[in-house]
Amino acid sequence: MQWWCSAQGVAWEWTWRAYPGVWLFIALVGAALAYAHRRSGVRTQPWRVSLMAQGVLALWIALDWPVGALGGGYLASLHMLQFLLIALVAPPLILLGIHEEVWDRLARRAVPRWLTAATTPLLGLVTLNAVIVLTHLPAIADPMMATQLGSFAIDMLWLASGTLFWWPLVAPVPARPRFVPPLRMGYLVLGIMFSPVTIVLVAVLVFNEHPLFATYELAPRVGGLDSVLDHQIAGLLMSVGGAVITLVGMTTIFFRWARESEGVHGPDANRGVHRPA
Amino acid sequence: MRTLPRVLLAGALLLVLTACDRGTAAERDANARRVAETGLYGHRLDSARVVPAVTLVDLHGTSHDLAQLTRGKLSLLFFGYTNCPDVCPVHMTNIAAAMRAFSWARRDSIRVIFVTTDPQRDTTERLREWIGSIDSTFLALRGSQAALDSAQRGLGLAEAMRLPGVHEGDYQVGHAGQVLAVFPDGTVRYAYPFGIRQAEWVHDLPKLLAYAAAGDAPASREG
Repeated sequence: MQWWCSAQGVAWEWTWRAYPGVWLFIALVGAALAYAHRRSGVRTQPWRVSLMAQGVLALWIALDWPVGALGGGYLASLHMLQFLLIALVAPPLILLGIHEEVWDRLARRAVPRWLTAATTPLLGLVTLNAVIVLTHLPAIADPMMATQLGSFAIDMLWLASGTLFWWPLVAPVPARPRFVPPLRMGYLVLGIMFSPVTIVLVAVLVFNEHPLFATYELAPRVGGLDSVLDHQIAGLLMSVGGAVITLVGMTTIFFRWARESEGVHGPDANRGVHRPA
Repeated sequence: MRTLPRVLLAGALLLVLTACDRGTAAERDANARRVAETGLYGHRLDSARVVPAVTLVDLHGTSHDLAQLTRGKLSLLFFGYTNCPDVCPVHMTNIAAAMRAFSWARRDSIRVIFVTTDPQRDTTERLREWIGSIDSTFLALRGSQAALDSAQRGLGLAEAMRLPGVHEGDYQVGHAGQVLAVFPDGTVRYAYPFGIRQAEWVHDLPKLLAYAAAGDAPASREG
């Protein structure tokens, strides 16, 4: 039995398989979120619970059978879907779902210096893009995807770098009064949609004559999908998926900004004691 | 502040440790050595093997002597079956993709031959459909079990054998996984095991053509 999805080199079958490591990880994430909220002693609003549940669900879908298994060793396109879900969808949903009281508790305890340093926008931008480069270099990615530990490391790097990237945008702690909405929108555009790293990777995936990753080129075919086409779909997914996520993020930031400028307060208007007025 | 560098360092270490799989590194070294020695990703055979004279039938019902068929131009010969879940479709689609990178003239100077090791299920219709979905210029051949066994034995390949399938009543066929490069004189000089990539075929095929035109493999010429 495998504990984490990785490339196996055996023919794909639409027969469900268990990945206990994934379940354990998802259970730990859920338990950590529940514990943090229980300690804060507040009743979390349903919309926040829903956001967190969606974030955890996105993680679960990305890591477990069939998406995790197909992305881990058969289809580059699903590998890219995994990246989008793990790094760009799950972290903002989970962070947005965290109750303001949990953030307040963190702020009251004096934010650790390492957290302030680790969640600066510049570091988030650099870390996410560095991780995208590293985990998409064939010389590194192919051998890593062949082992469960390697696949686990890739998934965790995506989750960690995605969390660092979204933290300054979504989390109110530590307060960053100079990181104003226009800068936030620019950060999103530069970090995802028009990131030079993303642009180059998309171009390589879409326009390369031959498949980039040996893992997917030599994997048993799934549904007769050609390996080059599979890589092209992966590139398009990254491009379109990244653009959609960026636009949704920018729209959200813009409307919140507009609401705050007009003095209209939303459900989390009082959230984050250190938030700029 | 000291925690952050430690976390980043641990992440980088994990990345390096998992990327440096010894098997893969050894494989890369062997590939590099082989390319340096022969200029090809293909494995040079210690001694050339002669394609045996066995009769096989193409999709039009025409009989061919395999030994005669492989003469005159560079041939890539592979034994597999259409229900193969992994090696066969990957090998054949990768060769087809590599061939698409060449001009028609160059493509015409290479003959790709697929011989089924599962004549019971691989009917002419089934073979036509399968090979047509990959590249309709590839030749697909069938033959009697005796002819197939004789061909594989003559080429020094392990004879294909039936293995139990995943589902009841189903079966798989265990067979040699390498594509053989047959020179125009009817001798096999190089073998391409499973794992050869499209870009490597694109690299090797023009060189194989050059070696084939020169009538011999490079090491012999140099020697």
